Amino acid sequence: MNKDKIFKLAKGFRGRAKNCIRIARERVEKALQYSYRDRRNKKRDMRSLWIQRINAGTRLHGVNYGNFMHGLMKENIQLNRKVLSEISMHEPHSFKALVDISRTAFPGNKSSVVLLEKKAFQLFYEW
Amino acid sequence: MALLCGSTSVKFPSSSAKSSISCPKNGSAKSSFVGFQVALSKSCSWTSLAANSRRNFQVRSQDLSVVPLDERWMFEESEVNGPDIWNKTWYPKAADHVNTDKPWYIVDATDKILGRLASTIAIHIRGKNLATYTPSVDMGAFVIVVNADKVAVSGKKRTQKLYRRHSGRPGGMKVETFAQLQQRIPERIIEHAVRGMLPKGRLGRKLFNHLKVYKGSDHPHEAQKPTELPIRDKRIQMTR
Repeated sequence: MNKDKIFKLAKGFRGRAKNCIRIARERVEKALQYSYRDRRNKKRDMRSLWIQRINAGTRLHGVNYGNFMHGLMKENIQLNRKVLSEISMHEPHSFKALVDISRTAFPGNKSSVVLLEKKAFQLFYEW
Repeated sequence: MALLCGSTSVKFPSSSAKSSISCPKNGSAKSSFVGFQVALSKSCSWTSLAANSRRNFQVRSQDLSVVPLDERWMFEESEVNGPDIWNKTWYPKAADHVNTDKPWYIVDATDKILGRLASTIAIHIRGKNLATYTPSVDMGAFVIVVNADKVAVSGKKRTQKLYRRHSGRPGGMKVETFAQLQQRIPERIIEHAVRGMLPKGRLGRKLFNHLKVYKGSDHPHEAQKPTELPIRDKRIQMTR
């Protein structure tokens, strides 16, 4: 009875693992362990994929992912990464609007460093 | 927005003119991938195409108002409203990555730093610059490299960088310097560099075939109309 269940789960396995019970039992146990672990990993992998897609989409507009998200956080836009990646693929104009909002909220590290240096320079001269 | 109209016109058939329900959303999605200028022109031609093929047939979603109440459970969400693009992460269909529709880029390797050039090439071949990047699918472009024998390296690498290969037999290690390899087979230098930057595996080997390296300045791919590879690295050009 249990053997039938094991063979049902062992469909598509390589070599004797789909036919011979001793090997199939081991492989099926491992497969179930992997599926348990990967149900948790899938959530991580999906988020990583969304972030990669958003990164690529924002770099087309000259902004990288870090600065983009910082700008969105500043403006309290709570769109999640899944939706942002779908917007970057299906609605490029809306995405460009989001990038512009983020850029006005947070123009990026380089420009802020330049602004600080300019301010320090001005103060030095005034003194 | 032109694209909003494109995405709401779910009922129109796509250019492939196959009567599957998933096609229209796919068609609208496809038109918006390529960036806004091209997308706008594409949506214009697309609606005219839709007008032409509308005469032949119309792709319909199931209209639930004509179905009696006790049979409505038979119809799936995707049959009624079209596929859900906002709650499911997009995965490319076969039509989204046909090799004949991929862009071709050309880059001249004269006096470009080897590693920086290889990195940009690998990014474009893998497709990491596209918002539709998918790690398990080949979404990248083709890249042609010309003048491969004039690629530059900084420092003393020309005489000190070693390329090793092993024949498999004991004592079969063969070592060559950069200069010697450039004399012998100059294409191999760029190929080696890019291969090291592409993923290793079945997909990586397939991606490697999308790189075409040539020694001189002419290449047999004029028919593919390659465009200039956009390089964003400012330190890629060797300044003497």
